[in-house]
Amino acid sequence: MNGDPDTPAKGSAPAAVELRELVRTFGPVRALDGAALVARPGEIHGLLGENGAGKTTLLSVLAGLLTPDAGEIRVAGRVVRIDTPREARRLGIGMVHQHFSLVPPLSVLENLMLAWPRSALAWPEDEVREAAEALAGETGLTVPLDARVSNLGVGERQRVEILKVLLQDPRILILDEPTAVLSPPEVEGLLALVRELARAGTSVLFVAHKLDEVLAVADRVTVLRRGRTVLEAARSEVDAPRLARAMVGAEAAASLTEEVGPRPRGRTVGDPVARLRGVSLGSEAGGWRLREVDLEVRPGEIVGVAGVEGNGQRWLARVLAGETATDAGTVLLPPNPSFIPQDRRDEGLVEDFDLVENMALRAHRERSFRKGPFIRWPTLREWTADRVEAFGVRSDGLDTRVRTLSGGNQQRVVLARELAGDPGFVVAENPTRGLDVAGADFVHRTLRALRDRAERPAGVVLLSTDLDEVLALADRVHVMVRGRLEAIEPGPDLRTRVGERMLGAR
Amino acid sequence: MSALLDGALILAFLEAGVRLGIPLALAALGETISERSGVLNIGLEGAIIAGALGAALGALDTGSPGLGVLLGGLAGAGVAMVFAVFVVGLNTDQIIAGTAVTLGGLGFTAAVYQARFGATGTALTLPTLDPLPLPGLSAIPVLGPVFFRQAPTAYLAYLLAPLLAWFLFRTTAGLRLRAVGEAPDAAAAAGIRVRAVRFWATVAGGALAGLAGAHLSLAYAGTFAEGMSAGRGFIAIAVVVLGRWSPVRVLAAALFFGAASALQFFLQNLGWDLGYQLFLAVPYILTLAALGGWVGRAKAPEALALPWPSRRSGA
Amino acid sequence: MTRSRAWVAGGLALAATLAAAAGSLALGGFDPWRALSALVTGSLGSPTAVLSITLVRAVPLMLTGLAVALAFRAGIWNIGAEGQLYAGAVAGVAVALSAPEGMSAWLIVPSTLLVGGVAGAAWAAVPAVLRLRAGVGEVITTILMNFVAIHLAAWMVHGPLQEARGVFPQTDRIPDVARLPVMVPGSRLHLGFGLAVLLALGLWVWQRFTASGFRVRAVGASPGAARVAGRIDEGRVLLRVFLASGAIAGLAGVVQVTGVTFALYEDFSPDWGYTAIAVALLAGLHPVGVLISGALFGALEGGAGAMQREAGVPAGWVQAVEALAILSILAVNRFMARRDR
Repeated sequence: MNGDPDTPAKGSAPAAVELRELVRTFGPVRALDGAALVARPGEIHGLLGENGAGKTTLLSVLAGLLTPDAGEIRVAGRVVRIDTPREARRLGIGMVHQHFSLVPPLSVLENLMLAWPRSALAWPEDEVREAAEALAGETGLTVPLDARVSNLGVGERQRVEILKVLLQDPRILILDEPTAVLSPPEVEGLLALVRELARAGTSVLFVAHKLDEVLAVADRVTVLRRGRTVLEAARSEVDAPRLARAMVGAEAAASLTEEVGPRPRGRTVGDPVARLRGVSLGSEAGGWRLREVDLEVRPGEIVGVAGVEGNGQRWLARVLAGETATDAGTVLLPPNPSFIPQDRRDEGLVEDFDLVENMALRAHRERSFRKGPFIRWPTLREWTADRVEAFGVRSDGLDTRVRTLSGGNQQRVVLARELAGDPGFVVAENPTRGLDVAGADFVHRTLRALRDRAERPAGVVLLSTDLDEVLALADRVHVMVRGRLEAIEPGPDLRTRVGERMLGAR
Repeated sequence: MSALLDGALILAFLEAGVRLGIPLALAALGETISERSGVLNIGLEGAIIAGALGAALGALDTGSPGLGVLLGGLAGAGVAMVFAVFVVGLNTDQIIAGTAVTLGGLGFTAAVYQARFGATGTALTLPTLDPLPLPGLSAIPVLGPVFFRQAPTAYLAYLLAPLLAWFLFRTTAGLRLRAVGEAPDAAAAAGIRVRAVRFWATVAGGALAGLAGAHLSLAYAGTFAEGMSAGRGFIAIAVVVLGRWSPVRVLAAALFFGAASALQFFLQNLGWDLGYQLFLAVPYILTLAALGGWVGRAKAPEALALPWPSRRSGA
Repeated sequence: MTRSRAWVAGGLALAATLAAAAGSLALGGFDPWRALSALVTGSLGSPTAVLSITLVRAVPLMLTGLAVALAFRAGIWNIGAEGQLYAGAVAGVAVALSAPEGMSAWLIVPSTLLVGGVAGAAWAAVPAVLRLRAGVGEVITTILMNFVAIHLAAWMVHGPLQEARGVFPQTDRIPDVARLPVMVPGSRLHLGFGLAVLLALGLWVWQRFTASGFRVRAVGASPGAARVAGRIDEGRVLLRVFLASGAIAGLAGVVQVTGVTFALYEDFSPDWGYTAIAVALLAGLHPVGVLISGALFGALEGGAGAMQREAGVPAGWVQAVEALAILSILAVNRFMARRDR
């Protein structure tokens, strides 16, 4: 069933898939920097790493969505090039995406048929039904075939995705963060399914950041960090702390001189600039986004919120920025908080506007730039020139469209705008995403300067999926896990403890 | 009042309704296909008028109305192909390109017509597509005279509706087309060639619109006149909505619109020509209500009229 | 694309269009030079031509062009200018006809124009609400409203507003006192032209120099950034723009009635509302540009008759060239955008 009629015993067969020295860059960012992975037939292989470690890029390479700049890929021992998703499918690689690729208005059956290779005029309903039912019998994976996907909950949709991929009889099944959206009983069901599949000879590549789940099911693990494979071992050789350290680089950290832990800051004086008490926010589908969040931000501190993407940080950021109303709890914020959104190009800036107009997004309401209904453009222009210089924005002039600026310069524009008027409260959401070292450095220095301001130090909330960034800047560290905000006590092994909490291990 | 119940008059009204609805049906069936793939073709009007002229010239030059119909279909497909090159190939805004195609189609056909036949007022006489009573079927009381004594293009419409329904809902190709119209990203991930599907769906839609035009010039009017499409391309878009993007319902909706049009003649014949124009507005109001969700729910394909690949700058 | 590149793009498109225009004429066996000079003389060759033909024809295109440009700027696909125009015309002619004896023109004319604008806005309110409350795309709803308006107008001129004689489907002529004054004595150029120019200038100033104009531009350029970075209430902005767009198109309708035709009849508009889309696009959605492209279209269509008489070129050719112009702009824009990346 998995290709070879005389499948040799597990462990002695050629690897189902082997990746060596993969390199892939996106502009200044090296998403993969010598990543390697070996998965054998019938093996459950856990692939671990934080956000930004390169997992998604590696999977995209395997799925044929991206080609590596360098490196070698072997499937069943043969060197291959995976140029398109079709090619990947043909090689027996089936991937269940984190963000599903189902068509919501169609029924489950129709979605399955989309992936069923048949001639154009056929309507293979019966065949697909049979195959789906057969698989259900083998693996326990049942789905409501005639329901519309849009009516299904997230857990069920994922099962449909998995079934869809399984129907193609893959030799390598990749599950990308499958448990992120599941409830505990659903997780159990998934892990059981994965074991079944491995028993039948499929290699399962289980990509996650939840240590306990991976440890429960994997035969071998590979850990990625900053695009590189930093650990590759059998399950029996590792435990949760060791994996956590590898993922967050605690072992490497010892060689750096950065401070890990709270700065002795006696300077948080005065009343909080922002406060959330018992804040909850539900989602449209009836689930949670934020659950009873308590947070207090005082002037003169940077509060760090770490966490893996998808645990509610974006919603916390929006609540703090005053953009989203909550369903429960109290929110105390200064008027019009300064907000540096994660999505620079679609939310932080109007790309087709020039520098002056982008600055005007915030400034156009201020009295000093207005004369009744009219905007005092000359005054705004002068002010923009000052701000642009103060923040070192490099451009071809104030009239150039922001679209033409580099990522780092765009972010400087955002900072110049949001930090105008010496705000007392700033919310920064992944502010260095997509920036090179120099750009990121500038942002960090700016945030520290806000906190260390002599007159009226600011309170800053830094939400970031990059743990290094949080640890480098924050005075107090929190972690977002499933909509809850947990404070992490200062003390030794802060990095490991934060890492473990982020990754769901205790 | 007894005039109202005159059977012959009612039959005449129903037959006219069907006759008026056929070109709408053909164009709307075509538009259903392209909209199901996510392309809103406002240039449909251009395809219809091109089909009308193409069919007229074709029939005139070859003497055969049948060949005329074929040429009309080709002309419509050609116009839609221009539109598709811009909208699918170059990914330009569907609205703007559609407006240009309609404008161009109307102008170009007028120009060609005048260049060839002069600007005089005398109408062309064309070899027409006469009504073809279907043996047996046309003898059925009421239904016979109304539905089965129409031009052959009408029968084409009757056949196409269930055929297209079968295609859309019971074949893999149709499924893929629908996936493209609802979630092009997911479709692309499934290996479907989104742009190719949209391109050919649009061209097919144009071909049907061309046939609608051919029906107009060869069967309905028996001549060609500038601008004879009279907004039917836009009406067809409304028909698609009322028919909830489902071919058989679209056919019914088209006949409904046709009946509303025929109503004016019916009421005029009764000497009752007060306010019939308001009845003409009813189908549109109904369609608006359907869109608003008060008369059932008409839900457009999710990706309708959105450029693909998406031009939002995002991640 | 920077502003200078936009000019280059425009120039390229214009050149392409001229080439296609001349080429198509030659292909059709016409003398391009003779045809084009007839076109120019017919539309711009004499003061009468300019004032009474070109500019008069341009006014409805300018006004509807302004309406469409405004909406498109905010990201609203208002294809309903045609219906909004009819709504304004119907309301306007009703008011003009019902003006009491002895009322001063100073009262009647502005009221008529006002009512026309309000009617146009009301007509736009239906698709606006459907979009903002029910998320229904405005392309189809505005088209539907066009048809409702046209049939409503037809009913009016056949019924309630029909002329006293009751012979033709048209209204009575509106009293002199309700008519728009002529701007240049001896010509047909009426106050509507002045209104269009003022409105264009006003819109330009508003768009470029006021806070609300800025907000509208932001919403049209990037709804996400407008909402997050600009803290702009997208819904409110869109509603206001939609209604304003309808009002301007309604104004176009009432201006046409009170300035040119002095009565309302069936098929009042030769698709001005749709041509307006071309006018707005060719102007790059710029209000003052709309005046220019509106005048250009007015010239093209005004000169088409002369071109037909003197060079035998069918009038429909003009529309075909207009369409070619739009397609060239689209193509050129796409190519230049690609090179930007």
